[in-house]
Amino acid sequence: MKRFISTLGFIISSAATALAEEKIEVFPSVSYDQYTIYQNLAIFWIAIIGLIVIIRMKLREIERIQKMGIDKAEKDIPLLD
Amino acid sequence: MPERGLRLSCRRLKDWVEERYDVEAIRKLATHKLVPVHQYEIWYYTGGIAMFLFILQFITGMVLSFYYIPHFEWAHKSIIEIVTKLNMGWFFRSIHHWGAQLAITVLFIHLFSTLLLKSYRKPREVTWVTGFMLLGISIFFGLSGYLLLWDERAFAAVRVATGGAGNLPFIGGFIKAFLRGGIDVTGDTLTRFYAFHVAILPIVSLLIIGVHVLLVQVHGMSVPLSLEKKPQKTIPFFPNLFYKDLIVWLVVLGIMVTLATFLPPEIGKRADPLAPAPENIKPEWYFLFLFQTLKLFPGEILGLNGETIAIILITCGILFFFLIPFFDRKSSRGEPSPVFTWIGIMYTLYFAVMTVIGFIT
Repeated sequence: MKRFISTLGFIISSAATALAEEKIEVFPSVSYDQYTIYQNLAIFWIAIIGLIVIIRMKLREIERIQKMGIDKAEKDIPLLD
Repeated sequence: MPERGLRLSCRRLKDWVEERYDVEAIRKLATHKLVPVHQYEIWYYTGGIAMFLFILQFITGMVLSFYYIPHFEWAHKSIIEIVTKLNMGWFFRSIHHWGAQLAITVLFIHLFSTLLLKSYRKPREVTWVTGFMLLGISIFFGLSGYLLLWDERAFAAVRVATGGAGNLPFIGGFIKAFLRGGIDVTGDTLTRFYAFHVAILPIVSLLIIGVHVLLVQVHGMSVPLSLEKKPQKTIPFFPNLFYKDLIVWLVVLGIMVTLATFLPPEIGKRADPLAPAPENIKPEWYFLFLFQTLKLFPGEILGLNGETIAIILITCGILFFFLIPFFDRKSSRGEPSPVFTWIGIMYTLYFAVMTVIGFIT
């Protein structure tokens, strides 16, 4: 019985080792690194949303000017150099 | 004082450029280009997204190519090193992977929207042809990039894909041997696919993208048949649509980075040409509809190889799809063509349903 248990234990441990070897970590496993990555992702999204808000505001301003019809340059306008 | 100097330098540089090149003409082209506004305008963004993703793929691909070793003994190991040892290596690989998935998804959406809105009709037949070629190239980009991983799944998938191409009558044997660089998938195939992935396909795709974009500029944006005769509201491409494009690109970039962070692609066991194919292997999602179609056919039909017949039928279906602008004469004349609308719906549904079935089974 003792022999059987030790054999079984060996098989399970070697299988676990084999499985652990097969699995290649494709993402940092250290929790500190993971925390940094998720934090950076959150900052990245905040930056994207911020940029979208700025572009949207700029676009609205352009549309407002276009609606007023003052976006086109007048012909033969004197230039100050 | 240094600010004034900088401003002067910029002014000089601007003058230098303007004296040599007609910058004003380019500015006029951008500001005078008008884009129609209507209920289907959302589909206009898919082309821009595809191009944005292509640019990102070029950048991340270049970064990865600094460290990847295209040799069957080192390829798999070099990818593991990129992912596990290089700073941000996992991120660049993951971005490259998800960029490819999103680019092909967007290209399929762009293709089916063009098909259903009949934007392929006269005078845009060549635009459709170049777009279709770009989709084919993108799929080959995907397949060739997949093998570069050199793991058992990629190896088996490429063996099946190139074997399938080999079932085509007359030219199949040549295509198979040309793609594999020999009788079977070996290290020669890896070298060949690497050459396709980093040199041949990028050059060809850049050329075709150039022609495609040029044709879009020449013909302008297509308006659906049902709206063509109605009075059109337009907006300038620059800055209005350009800013909207920027917003969409930012969202796509965010989605891509999120996917790359939460779902980095796995790396399987190193490919062993002598080992049997792993169980339950499936091709990449964009090949699933073909994979499912092949499953529908029996091994033998009237004494002929079932797979060969399936491949011939699929090839005919794709060829018809490719030549649709030349068959649909009614929409070219500006008349409604419900037959081709139904054909378009059937193609779209078939692709979607077969892909979903292939994914869940």
